Amino acid sequence: MATEKELSDFLKSVEKRAFKRAVYAVRNDDAALDIVQDAMIKLAEKYADRPAAELPLIFQRILSNATMDWFRREKVRNAFVQNLSEFEKADDEGDFDLLETLHTLDGQLGSESAADTVSRAQILLLIDHEVAELPARQREAFLLRYWEEFDVSETAALMGCSEGSVKTHCSRAVHALAKSLAAKGIKP
Amino acid sequence: MNTNHPGFGISRDDHALQLQARLAGKFAAALSEGARTLPHDITERLRFSREQALVKAREMRLAPQLASATPAWLNSAGTLVLGGPLPGWHRALSLFPLLMLVAGMFLIDHWATREQVVAVADVDAVLLADDLPPAAYQDPGFIEFLRTPPPLPLSFP
Repeated sequence: MATEKELSDFLKSVEKRAFKRAVYAVRNDDAALDIVQDAMIKLAEKYADRPAAELPLIFQRILSNATMDWFRREKVRNAFVQNLSEFEKADDEGDFDLLETLHTLDGQLGSESAADTVSRAQILLLIDHEVAELPARQREAFLLRYWEEFDVSETAALMGCSEGSVKTHCSRAVHALAKSLAAKGIKP
Repeated sequence: MNTNHPGFGISRDDHALQLQARLAGKFAAALSEGARTLPHDITERLRFSREQALVKAREMRLAPQLASATPAWLNSAGTLVLGGPLPGWHRALSLFPLLMLVAGMFLIDHWATREQVVAVADVDAVLLADDLPPAAYQDPGFIEFLRTPPPLPLSFP
């Protein structure tokens, strides 16, 4: 059973990422804050007696459900489903050079010695924007797998899809982000 | 397509996956850095939400204990104490009003019985002290005599 401190530390560690994920989904700060608050309170009400190690997975599921509930309440489910149909859209990612983008990011984000902090902030904003522009399923897979650091099977369980789908969504998301950044002029 | 990557001795697929993971890590790090610089009002609302959730968790933890606890009582310092067994003298003291009630009912019953006895004794004493013998009340002719109005006095012109 998670102690109060463990619960507090967990919520503190996850709240900002949860907010950003909700913002990516609903594109509205106030709604995202409401969703995160609902998810936190539901976790505290129903799952506070669970071991601390189980809290991350449970919280992500609650957050996803709270986000879906928001869409239902807003009566934009049809639009959302329309977005979901884009998930299976094929990307032409084969020939894109990830290594080039990685070297670029290493150069611009990797070291504190970068002189131009304004440029650094702009790149952070750009990445944030491009993540927000990803198709919902790709974004969800990418964020759960690489930002929340769940493994492939946990991500698949949270998303209700196969591990192969998670790998595909993640791959497409990373390629799409790399391509978008290159298109915005981030080059070595 | 598991050809070895030149110069590394690993397959091209593995190399692509490693590259993808490293790049994704960079993107995630950038997102984390951006999330650390959220506006103050957002972080404050998140803090408030977290505190609300913790209060709710505390309530949920306390609920089973409160349900099984004895009622609240005041200790010697006048502080309200929730839960825990009551001290012995408090339990004895709580019986005092009940004892007083039983004793009061017993005294009232005793007083009412004594009043009835005294009333009957008074009636008996009056009957015995009267000139009319008590056996006269069992005589049907005497009862009839009592019911009959007294005759009108004779009047002479």
